[in-house]
Formats: sequence, C-alpha cells, structure tokens
Amino acid sequence: MTPTTTPDLPRLKRTATVTRRNGTVVIRHNRDEVTLEGAGAQLFTKLESSADGATAVDVVAAKVSEKPARVRALLDQLEKAGVMTYASKQEDGARITGLEFHKIHRELCAFWLEPIYRHPFWERVVNGTATRAQVIGFAFEKYHYIEGAFEHMGIAAANATPEMMPHLAKHFIEEYTHGDIYRHGLKSLFPDDAILRSQPLPSTRALINFLSESAQRSSFAYYSGNELLQLTENTEDVSDGAGGAVNEFYDAMIKHYPYTEPLVDSFIAHTKADQNLGHADAFLEMCKSVPPMTRREVNDALNVAKDMAEHLLLFMDGIDTFYANFPVLPRVPCDPLSE
Amino acid sequence: MASTQPLYRAKRVYDVTPAAGGVGLRLSDRIVELGDREFNWYQKIAAWLPTARGLAEVSREMGMDEAKVPKFIEALERTGLLYRTGDLPASMTGLEFHKRFNEVLSSWLSEAFAHPFWQRMMSGKGSARLFTGWLVELYHYTKNANRHMPLSCAFAHEKPIKQLRAKHYAEEWNHFHYFMKSLRALGHNDEEIAASVPLPMTLALSNFMRQAARQDVLAYSICSAVLEGTTTDRKTYNPYYEKSVELYGLPKECITPIYAHLDLDIQYQHSDLFLDILQHVPTMSAERASVVLDYGHQLVEHIWMWTDNIEKYYQVESNPLPRLPFDALLD
Repeated sequence: MTPTTTPDLPRLKRTATVTRRNGTVVIRHNRDEVTLEGAGAQLFTKLESSADGATAVDVVAAKVSEKPARVRALLDQLEKAGVMTYASKQEDGARITGLEFHKIHRELCAFWLEPIYRHPFWERVVNGTATRAQVIGFAFEKYHYIEGAFEHMGIAAANATPEMMPHLAKHFIEEYTHGDIYRHGLKSLFPDDAILRSQPLPSTRALINFLSESAQRSSFAYYSGNELLQLTENTEDVSDGAGGAVNEFYDAMIKHYPYTEPLVDSFIAHTKADQNLGHADAFLEMCKSVPPMTRREVNDALNVAKDMAEHLLLFMDGIDTFYANFPVLPRVPCDPLSE
Repeated sequence: MASTQPLYRAKRVYDVTPAAGGVGLRLSDRIVELGDREFNWYQKIAAWLPTARGLAEVSREMGMDEAKVPKFIEALERTGLLYRTGDLPASMTGLEFHKRFNEVLSSWLSEAFAHPFWQRMMSGKGSARLFTGWLVELYHYTKNANRHMPLSCAFAHEKPIKQLRAKHYAEEWNHFHYFMKSLRALGHNDEEIAASVPLPMTLALSNFMRQAARQDVLAYSICSAVLEGTTTDRKTYNPYYEKSVELYGLPKECITPIYAHLDLDIQYQHSDLFLDILQHVPTMSAERASVVLDYGHQLVEHIWMWTDNIEKYYQVESNPLPRLPFDALLD
C-alpha cells in the first residue's frame, strides 16, 4: 500500500496484546511478537495510551515530552513489525495489487486456520476416543461440504466478474465430480440412495450457504473465502508439517476404526485429485488477474476469509458436538410419518 | 431378507429415560417402554435399517436367529418405533399438514432447547456475559429478518400467501430495536452494536431462511412457524429472563423491551400465520410435505447448534463482545 502523505494518527492494532515483565514490554499480534527493552520499552509505556488512532505524532511527542523524530522512529519500527498502524491511512485512497493481497491473505489465513488445526476432534480420533457416529459423521460432512461445490461454485461462476469468470468456470468444472469421490467411500457402509438423500449438519449447511451467499455478491471475496478451505487440502510438502499430521490422522483413523479404511481412501484420493489439478496455485492466478483493490474491497475479501475460518471451526464443532449428542446416521430427511 | 431394509424406517425418538426394568423412549405421540435387552436389539435394528449391511450381520450382532429378526421388526412397528415407508400418504391437504405439524411442534421445541446452555443459565452456572452475548446474537438474528422475510415475499407465487408474508414482514422488520434497547440497558452503545457482526451460526440461521425462501414458501413458512412457536407462551420464556436478572445481577430494564417484543408478537397472532397460509394450500404431494417438514426440523437443529455456538464463543472471556468486523489496517 503506497501512502500519499506521511502517515499520522498512530494506533496500536486493535487485537494486539501488551504484557510487561521486569522492564520488558512484549507486544503480540497474530503471529507477530515484538519485545522492547530499556529506553524503547520506557518510551512505549509512556506513549501507549496516546496511540489511539486519534492523536497526531507531534501531539503524542509533546504529551510524553520527547522529540517527535524519536517517537516517530519507534512508531515506524512497530508498524514495520506489524503491531502498530496509522489511522490516517484509512483515508489515503491507496490501492493494493492482487499480488500484494495474496501475500497478506496467505499470512492471515495461516493464523486464522490455527484454531481449526487445534480442534479437539482430531485428537479424539487419533487416540481412539471418538465415537462411531463422530467418525462416520466426519466422512458424511466432508462429503456434503465437497458436494456443496455444486451450489457455491455454480453460483460463483454464474455471477463472476469478467476477470474471475475463466478461473471460476475452470474451478467448477474441475471440482463438481469430487463429491462422488467421498460418496464412493461412503458406499462401503450405506446404500447410495441413503447417501444422496442424507442431510448435512446445520453447521455444514452454514458453511455451504455462507460460500453461496458470498459468491452471489463478490466473485473475488468469495474465492478469498474458498481459498482458506483450499489451503487445508494443500498439505503435501509443506514446511510446517501439516501433511505429516494429516497422514498420522488417517493412520490412526484406520487403526482405531478399521471400517473407515474405504473412507480414508476417498479422503486421500480427493486430496491427490486437488493437488494434481494445481488448485494450490489457483488463487495466485486469480490475484494476478484482478485490478488493484480499494481498502473497502480488501476488507471485504479478508472478512469473507476470516468468516470462512469461523465457519470451518463451526463445521468441526458440529461434527464433534452434534454427533456426540445426536448419533443418528445417516441423517435421513423427514417425512410425514418419521416425526 | 435384504429387501426388508427399505420397507421400514425408525421414528424419531426425542428422549430416552430409565424406566422400570428398562427404558422409556419418547416419540411425539407416546412413550414406548422397552426392556434393556429389547432396547439393545432395537438400537441395532434402527442403526442397521439405513445401511448396506446384510441381515446375517445384524442377526449376528443381536444374537438372534435370522428367521426371528423380521418378527422382531414387526413387533417394533406395532409399538410405533418403526413405520412402513409404504404407509406414507400420497398427498395431504394444507390443513392436514398443519395438524401433523402441530402434533410434533412441542417435541421439536423440546429438542431445539435441549442444549445444556439453558440448564446452565437457570442453575446459576452461566454469567451476565453469556446472557449479553445471547442478546447480541438475538439482535443480529432479528435484524437479519430483513435478509429473508422480503425474500419469502419475492419467491411466493400465490397472491394470498404473498399478502400474508408481506404483512408479517411489515409487522416485524424493525423489531431489532427492542434488542438494541435491552443492550443499551446493559451498558452498550448503539453505534458499537450496529457496527458489530454476528456469530457464524447466527448468520447461518438467516442464510438458511434465505435458502428456504428460495426453495418453497411453505418451507420458509414452517421455519418461521417453528420460531414463532418459541414465543407463544409467557410461561416458557419468563422464567429464563427473571432468573437471569436474579442470578447475574442484570438490570430489570434489560428484559422489559424483550417482554414488549414478545407481547407484540402475541398481539399480532404470528403463531397463527402458518395455519392462515396453509388454508390456501388445497393439496401437497408426499414429496412436498416431506421437504417442507424437513425444513422445519432442520430449523430445530439450527437452533440447537446456534445455542452451542453462542455458549462456546461467549464463555471465553477474552473474546470480543460485541464482535467487530476485521479491518486490514486496524487489526
């Protein structure tokens, strides 16, 4: 983002936390952490309450009886470290390119995905304490979530901007058969008709509907959200070891729940299918295609991605909690005699 | 014998409680008592019916001779725990459908509100924060009525039903102000509440209502009727509010607008709206009746999951209340 004037009105990031110990100040924000010691820590402590997004740097300096240049130097360092911002940038009209957006999106999504990777459901399967309903329910919900591509990817392609249309059309065409990969696994346990008629959990329905609603109003914001989901599939050869954790999960699933082997085969087949299609690069290609974005467009697309992470956590909660309380499978729809 | 499976389905069991020498299974219209051994067999049959597993397997699991399994299934049918799919009526009138809905509504509501959150709040193990968080989400849900109520008018095709849906919208569209007033009494200001964003499951409720509105106006209307069903009787909701005020030191002023809202709903007779709509439906195919009924039950499940989402989020003290949208510059 290129500023048009010298940035002013410093503000500590809203979600930053500040802790102090023995004269040291630690500021944490998302995955960033800054430690200030000595004079830097003292200056930050003096100016912290003025870094409210409404006080100019000169005024902050006067309040703490420091030279404005020294105050600005500290604030600039903190901004560079990602824990401080300048509220004046809200009005500077700067746009960012798709590639700049891609970098920000990638970093934030990695942070937003952390609670999903920490969800207790994974551990329950790995140590064998998950119930049969939770384990088979997991396979059913994955099926519904992938089958939901018909809805949200179809809506996305049909409402695409000119820049996004070729990408979204290609993605739909490559993905619409993937639900069948999961269905194939489920057919080892249930009749095909029961699988096709089964209902997703409300939390899975929430995820599909959120994508569909986003797809109707903004192609790019929609894919920003979908990309967060895609990142969970692109687990091969990643440096943080996510791929290894997934394999460990599948091995444990087969060990504790031998009847799930055909289901696990379908999970792996789907991940490989996605990887072979190069979906890991799809969003990068989209970002290269779109015109530079306003702050409002950036916030919209990032909010969809963040909301998507919350929906994904809800998806996990649904499998974990709902199937523990209502262990009925498959979830056959109502009829006038069933109730 | 594999062909037996598609012929039968299990009825929904709303509750299982211990009974003399066994358990009591609550259906919408009766309680069926089974001995422990029969209950175990019933569970195996209910789980087996919708699967691809053969009779030999379930017979082995039950420890029952294969030839005796069909007789046991017939016995379960006589108790009402199973029914024959062939007995489904080919069609029904709108009024017949409403009668069926009325027979199951109280069981559905008991399921929707079976979440432990309510017991926790009533027992003093909740908090003012949980109460406030729940109110914030109710504010968003009510405000989001503007995302689905007009859509139900747009997708209704018959004039009398369009009229009824439009009248409902006209009477409801601005009711979120009641919850704003409640939140004001709890110390929040209008700007921060108006700028806040709902939890994913709160948004999901309105997205699901939008889905229903696009699918079938009756699917939408049954969801609306389930929600209205939660507000028809003061006896069901007053204790929760009164107890919360008492247990969590909340100002009385925060529940006054909620009562005013509920009383207005009763005054408008919104709980009768579904019947008014169904009077204009001469006939429904079994397929349509099933789809509509299923939307109603999905809404019940949404309420349960909504409660779960509220509890999980707001019980964490460090989570923002209210929740602001993400801002790339400020966050």
